[in-house]
Amino acid sequence: MSAILAMTQLRGGYSETDILHGVSIEVAAHEIVAIVGPNGAGKSTAMKAIFGLLNVRAGSVVANGVDITGWSPNRIVQAGVSYVPQVDNIFGEMTVHENLEMGAFLRKGDFSASADRVYQLFPDLKAKRKTLAGSLSGGQRQMVAMGRALMLDPKILLLDEPTAGLSPKYMEQIFQISRDVRDSGVAILLVEQHAKQALAFADRGYVLAAGGNRHHGTGRELLADRAVAEMFLGG
Amino acid sequence: MEMISFLNFYLIPGIVIGSIYALGAIGLTLIFSIMRHAHLAHGDMAALGAFLALAGITTIGLPAYAALPLAVIATGLIAIGIDKLFYSHLRTRPKILTTISTLGIALMIRSVVQIVWGVDTRLYSNGISRPQNWFGLKIKAVEMYTLSAVVLFVVALVLFLTKSKWGKAMRAMSDNRNLALLSGVDNNKVVALTWLISGGLCAASGYFLGMNTELKSMMGWNILLPTFAAAILGGVGKIEGAVAGGLIIGIVEELSVMVIPSEYKALSAFAILLLVLLVRPRGLFKGKIL
Repeated sequence: MSAILAMTQLRGGYSETDILHGVSIEVAAHEIVAIVGPNGAGKSTAMKAIFGLLNVRAGSVVANGVDITGWSPNRIVQAGVSYVPQVDNIFGEMTVHENLEMGAFLRKGDFSASADRVYQLFPDLKAKRKTLAGSLSGGQRQMVAMGRALMLDPKILLLDEPTAGLSPKYMEQIFQISRDVRDSGVAILLVEQHAKQALAFADRGYVLAAGGNRHHGTGRELLADRAVAEMFLGG
Repeated sequence: MEMISFLNFYLIPGIVIGSIYALGAIGLTLIFSIMRHAHLAHGDMAALGAFLALAGITTIGLPAYAALPLAVIATGLIAIGIDKLFYSHLRTRPKILTTISTLGIALMIRSVVQIVWGVDTRLYSNGISRPQNWFGLKIKAVEMYTLSAVVLFVVALVLFLTKSKWGKAMRAMSDNRNLALLSGVDNNKVVALTWLISGGLCAASGYFLGMNTELKSMMGWNILLPTFAAAILGGVGKIEGAVAGGLIIGIVEELSVMVIPSEYKALSAFAILLLVLLVRPRGLFKGKIL
């Protein structure tokens, strides 16, 4: 399987100091990859680096065979990489359908096929297409957030801590939504605070620490690894 | 007091002046929700629009109704120009700087109006417009014209905001700025569009104020406070709130004359503004927090 997204030996940070000291991550088509690690490991920073929100000093990010290192978020979206922020990821005062329309803002011409696909993926949303997104439940809001990000027909979706602050019930719901998205043919790379749950659910995982790669493997392998377990049992 | 004289002397004039406030308040609310700063030049920009319409009538010889679109478009373009020339340099600085600089722009616009058109009172047309009698209700033709035009402006704006791609982009920018940028909305285009619409609505409010009363270089400054009160009463960011707020302020101002001398009419707008900020800071329609 070829990689949909490959981040190689990336170094960079928000300002002068580097937060990432050579991080490498690969995501293949049809897989869910989780980035986990203790606080301050650079998980979210790594994701922001992919999406062009970071000063990259060395290394590269390649999506669908195109080098997108240093591109603006606008161009990256058009290269097939969509990003769902951790918070404030919907337009609360707009309807569900308008949220999807905003997701397709950069598209020219008809986008109803993409909207239909999102509604097929999330039937709950179809019934609520004229409801204000801000009035939906937590799980449905996450569907709207992902739906918006899917409107440009990306090859990969980046989810920044999609379960932060949610109850275990919602967490399971969001994992299920993510599986549905993967099965529809879109790879997922997510950053997770809840390492155990995320590794149990993801196909593969990367453990970052102090801005570098520490372990990687399938979710199951990582969960069985004593070194990884120790890292998280402590904190 | 009889019902009919209440309607004729208080309610109808209140609705007319209120709908003029509403036009201004819609612009203020759009500017605040998208650019996140107050616009203290709003009144003087309305005066500029009113005098541009006067120029259309007296210099070019346009009929009064044709001077309106001219003033709306010209003022909208001037608003874009002022933004490019002044405010755009402050975009990334704290918003209070832009707010204060709008006060400077207000003084500059007023001076231009005074230099070009003088400080004397002017009229769009001479002669008295007699009210028509509709089953006892006395409504002047100019009042009918004002109300129907305001309704048209509001309907057109709401349709634009809810149906068109760029109208939705404006709402998205007001709703969740970062996500709108992430979705590929061009901030500069939205800002220009907001100034075009707000400037145009300013001109319309000044024009109708001039139509119903008279033109003075201070006319805009005088309606600034009630316009702000209307926007805040309605809830910042809410078009329907700005319309409701404008009408309420207009009607309350007219009614206040029953208890306080008419020179102090503006007090009632000020009182409402204070009361809203104390009791319900998000306004009637749950707008943004200031």
